[in-house]
Amino acid sequence: MNRPQLSSALALIAGIIFTCQAAHAEFKQPHATGIETYGYAWNSPDQDMNRALAHKADAGKGEAAYKVCKGCHKPDGAGLAEADYPQLAGQHASVIIKQMMDIRAGRRDNPRMYPFSGEWIVSAEEIADIAAYLNQLPFPTTNGKGNGYNLPRGKALYLKDCASCHGKTGEGDAKKFYPMVAGQHFSYLKRETRESRDHGRRNASPEMVKVLKNYSDADVEAVSDYMSRLNIVR
Amino acid sequence: MRPLVPTPLIAMISIVVSITFTNIVQADDAAAKAIHIANEVCAGCHGVDGNSLVPTFPKLAGQQKVYLLRELTDYKTGKRVSETMAPFMESLTLEDLPHLAAYYAKQKPAPGVVSNPSLLAVGKTLFLQGNSNTDVPSCDSCHEEDGSGSGKFPRVAGQHSEYALEQFRLYATGKRTNGARVMKAVAERMSEEETRAVAEYMASMP
Ligand code: HEC
Ligand code: HEC
Ligand code: HEC
Ligand code: HEC
Repeated sequence: MNRPQLSSALALIAGIIFTCQAAHAEFKQPHATGIETYGYAWNSPDQDMNRALAHKADAGKGEAAYKVCKGCHKPDGAGLAEADYPQLAGQHASVIIKQMMDIRAGRRDNPRMYPFSGEWIVSAEEIADIAAYLNQLPFPTTNGKGNGYNLPRGKALYLKDCASCHGKTGEGDAKKFYPMVAGQHFSYLKRETRESRDHGRRNASPEMVKVLKNYSDADVEAVSDYMSRLNIVR
Repeated sequence: MRPLVPTPLIAMISIVVSITFTNIVQADDAAAKAIHIANEVCAGCHGVDGNSLVPTFPKLAGQQKVYLLRELTDYKTGKRVSETMAPFMESLTLEDLPHLAAYYAKQKPAPGVVSNPSLLAVGKTLFLQGNSNTDVPSCDSCHEEDGSGSGKFPRVAGQHSEYALEQFRLYATGKRTNGARVMKAVAERMSEEETRAVAEYMASMP
């Protein structure tokens, strides 16, 4: 092959690669720094999040906007335990907003949901409306539970290490963006606790990660089982 | 005796009335022009009432107005690309588009044609429940249970399965990107069988 032919062949290949990348790039979740990076600060200010938090949320509008979510999180917000679709009914609006914005910005990796979470389908204001709608849905009790073998151990761990933030009955804290864990599926709680321990959930709270440092897999399972059985009296 | 209504006011009212009247006439003119375009330019492919007979040409009858206007605008501005549509969009102005969208949205959709009924059960399950193993959300969440759509979410009920299959191919290969982009993920995540089955199910919906 002579020079001009070679270079045009290379240009063609580069062009093809570039086009393929361009076609896929728009769906690749961005990657923002998280807990794996030195100096990571949990819940640092974010423009998108501030827009949603400042919006005067309307649960009625949120019900309509929720349609793009309910194909996975289900009409009643209960999610689906087998698929790790978390339960969202009754969750604090602030928590839903923060998690959505972390996913949009790439601080929390969620490639399964990412295409359905971007600006192109829900605005920051709509996210606030959706959060208000989900927050007022009835608290579920039919969530997935663990096998129940190690509940005393789970309870002891929870009260010692977790209740200070997630609350005695798993109610969390809306003002501090601490998730409600009561009513959540066992499989999802287990996965998130384990991922937080292992730095896989990159938007996790460093203080919580410190607490989890010496947790064995059996501890994670026991505490998750206990959390899945917490019941909030509202 | 003083007139009941002061003369300047009468003058003003008559000006307002005549302006409004001209606007109505102009709006009527524009709507009539749209119907004329639909009959002369579009009917050959999409049918006089938007119920195309050729399965590769989409049905437009009863389609959501908001969606139609967005797609027409995107063809016009080159955000949605179709070699077949391009020459016919050239003669249109941006002002024609809302009238064309309104015209087709008003037409009564004709029932679709099912070519492989054995796929309907699989298609129905996917449409109403999605597939949580591959993270395909249920279609009814966005397109409504009866496939009628709403606003920017298009009607899919009764659509030609050939057209739908071509769109899934364009979405999955990243060639149709003008819209909300969620359909790329949906199309990529469906298996070959699910894609054909759901296209048949959509065609079966009245
Ligand atoms: C394709 C399925 C799918 C769709 C559609 C979807 N989600 Fe999710 N969502 C998931 C999955 C899977 C997770 C858990 C991912 C993980 O473990 O990180 C999740 C997690 C979440 C979380 C975090 C919950 C928590 O307790 O931390 C929120 C909030 C959420 N989704 C809201 C939404 C909203 C709002 C929409 C619509 C705009 C939506 N989701 C659409 C699959 C989906
Ligand atoms: C210092 C406060 C704090 C402590 C202590 C704490 N957590 Fe958390 N936890 C958080 C915060 C904050 C989040 C949300 C992190 C984020 O923004 O993504 C969270 C998230 C979680 C989640 C994910 C919830 C969801 O909806 O996605 C689980 C599960 C969890 N914590 C379990 C535990 C367990 C188990 C313990 C005790 C071993 C514990 N946490 C201790 C603050 C705490
Ligand atoms: C030569 C045949 C032909 C003619 C004439 C034609 N179209 Fe089309 N039209 C098509 C084809 C093929 C498609 C699908 C193109 C694609 O895949 O993007 C289409 C798509 C459309 C769509 C998008 C439908 C959807 O569901 O997304 C609209 C709207 C539309 N045409 C309107 C018109 C209008 C208005 C005219 C007249 C000005 C017209 N078309 C003339 C063949 C035609
Ligand atoms: C999260 C919302 C959402 C879900 C879920 C969804 N769609 Fe769509 N769909 C859209 C939107 C929005 C469009 C408009 C076109 C665009 O944005 O490209 C569309 C477009 C389409 C089109 C093209 C219509 C036309 O006339 O060109 C078809 C066909 C379609 N969807 C079928 C499906 C099927 C089948 C499923 C389920 C397997 C599904 N959709 C799930 C939002 C959704």
